[in-house]
Amino acid sequence: MAEIKLKLKKKPSFPLEVDSITPDNFVGKTAAEIKKLEIYHGKDLVKLGDFFDVSGKSTDLKETTIIIDGDVSRAKRVGENMTGGEIIINSDVGMHVGNQMKGGKITVNGNADDWAGAMMEGGELIINGDAGHYIGSAYRGFWQGMKSGIIRVKGKVGNESMLWAKSSKPSNKWPTLYCGSAGAFLGIHNHGGTIVVEGDVDRCTGADQAWGTIVIKGKISRILPSYKKMGQVDEVELPNGEKIVGKFIEYSGDHSVNKETNGRIYIAV
Amino acid sequence: MVEKKIKTFYDVVCPFCGTLCDDLEVDIDVKENKVIEMRNSCQIGTKKFFSSNPGSHRYLKPRIKDNGSYREVSWDEALDKAADILIKAKRPLLYGFSSTECDAQSRGVELAEILGAILDNTASVCHGPSLLAIQDVGAPLSTLGEYKNRADLVIFWGSNPVHAHPRHLGRYSEFVRGYFRTDGRNDRFIIVVDPRNTHTAQIADLYIRVNPNEDYELLNAIRATLRGTEIDEKEVSGVSKEQIQELVKILREAKFGVIFFGMGLTQTLAHHRNIDTAICLVRELNDYTKFLLCPMRGHYNVAGANQVFTWNTGYAYSIDFSRGYARYNPGEFSSVDLLMKDEVDASLIVASDPASNFPAASVKNMFKHPLISIEPHETPTSAFADVILPAAFAGIECEGTAYRMDKVPIRLRKVKDAPGECLSDKEILERLIEKVKHKLGD
Repeated sequence: MAEIKLKLKKKPSFPLEVDSITPDNFVGKTAAEIKKLEIYHGKDLVKLGDFFDVSGKSTDLKETTIIIDGDVSRAKRVGENMTGGEIIINSDVGMHVGNQMKGGKITVNGNADDWAGAMMEGGELIINGDAGHYIGSAYRGFWQGMKSGIIRVKGKVGNESMLWAKSSKPSNKWPTLYCGSAGAFLGIHNHGGTIVVEGDVDRCTGADQAWGTIVIKGKISRILPSYKKMGQVDEVELPNGEKIVGKFIEYSGDHSVNKETNGRIYIAV
Repeated sequence: MVEKKIKTFYDVVCPFCGTLCDDLEVDIDVKENKVIEMRNSCQIGTKKFFSSNPGSHRYLKPRIKDNGSYREVSWDEALDKAADILIKAKRPLLYGFSSTECDAQSRGVELAEILGAILDNTASVCHGPSLLAIQDVGAPLSTLGEYKNRADLVIFWGSNPVHAHPRHLGRYSEFVRGYFRTDGRNDRFIIVVDPRNTHTAQIADLYIRVNPNEDYELLNAIRATLRGTEIDEKEVSGVSKEQIQELVKILREAKFGVIFFGMGLTQTLAHHRNIDTAICLVRELNDYTKFLLCPMRGHYNVAGANQVFTWNTGYAYSIDFSRGYARYNPGEFSSVDLLMKDEVDASLIVASDPASNFPAASVKNMFKHPLISIEPHETPTSAFADVILPAAFAGIECEGTAYRMDKVPIRLRKVKDAPGECLSDKEILERLIEKVKHKLGD
């Protein structure tokens, strides 16, 4: 087990872009080498060591764990494109944490800003606080967002989470979001994503959903007029095989996309 | 021989709103260098031409703020100070550009790239959501001439052209006679969807009153009904199920329909998702008939700003050059969001007045840091600027190109000289680029 500890030593005056902080970049490097990695501060290219104290070293990607301490709420793009290893962030974190990650695990012991886990292709992102908008969503103009992996948010996620999520049955990829509660337009343009909400959600959930499953254990402020009530169920089986027991009302939609649809929203009775 | 005092210009293009009317007649008092009479123009366009006349509101020389008061300086000194501010800044913002011509906008892109700055235009607070939606789901658009000649069903959704684009109705969408619409107004069915019974709604054939901020649900219900699903709810967003069914029938039976949409869709809750679903509705209507849509652009060249930024950088607005190449992400690099988080340490505002229409908290942050304003006359923004660079009115005091709301480029004309030492936006930015390059050692 190789642990690398990063500690923010001074507060940046502008957001840092730390896309070099990934287990992939750290593997096989000593603390001194890691300090020399480049990050952006505003428009200045600086060294990671200018803002972080670094200790430990890494040998094998699977075994690499990066632990980040200090307030990194203005550090963007932690864990971008990572394929393995683990990152633990013991504070709030800035935008784009774990965006496009393909494997490994990120744990945020605080809140995450917008675009956390955007366009994820694998791995697991755990946020033990609230998250901003566009969680697990597609970037502007992309028609395929999160393709695989799991995001777990303890608190609330903002608007338009899981935008353009895309599952694949042949390759058994089921992008999934578990969250405490959610803002508006949850799962908009959903193409197979799975969303489980423990609490309440805001308006327009599942707007333009072509297919996919959204389970709401709390209340919905207003269901879209294009959803049709189907009946009551005692159990919901998610595409990944997981079963959720409880009384739910099943709605089909979004019927504004197609008259016949495999999109479903389950709302607790 | 009597000296000719008045010169009349014909077919002048109006640099006010996105309609870009090109049939104005302007009388200029040559000796006084003043606009004295306007014909064919609407009230707001006329006002803009008259506001270009010399007066206490116009800046005649560059100004620098020293210890709280302004002093007039030479162009060299003012540009020197402006260049110093921009070079010193770690995250400068270049904003505005929608009320100037395309060459100046292009220079703005060049300057932003040199500085590694944030580049944004006013689409960020008006039709930016339309652009986001278009990137997500595409858009069936056309030129205004097509609508004029063919459309027999015209829908104004969240827009009020009687006040915002006064001559739009007469030139393209309502009263004008077209090739296939020979009887003008009688050949068109006009629908207005708006929470308020606006003056446009009062002259429509059908007015649909939608609850504020609930346009998305209404569009969604229309789409579902169009797809053949009977909706469960009796009433959606204040509109009854029967009325929705009636509306869908009208939409399907039209020969050629068009939706003109404005701020009422883009800047109410749901923003770009309203446009997203409106575009999807239009796309689906094309299964039955011909249907298109058109954003009612506000500033006369905001469409041009999007075009120029796009052909230079690949993106229409909210562009960040901090890593040396263009990146785009509204919400992260859009001016309001950056100012709200206080992530900008100097601003250059070109032909725009963010102090009047940005949220107060963001304007407060903008005023905390050095501010340069390229502006022909006093505005709430320029009143707080550290450096004021006086510009000529594009389209009145200098030539240029502007893009109409349907993205048709039209050449602007010069009808009079600029007062004092005013220069065109393009020349000011060119000189500023030269200064910046010189200081950076290029």
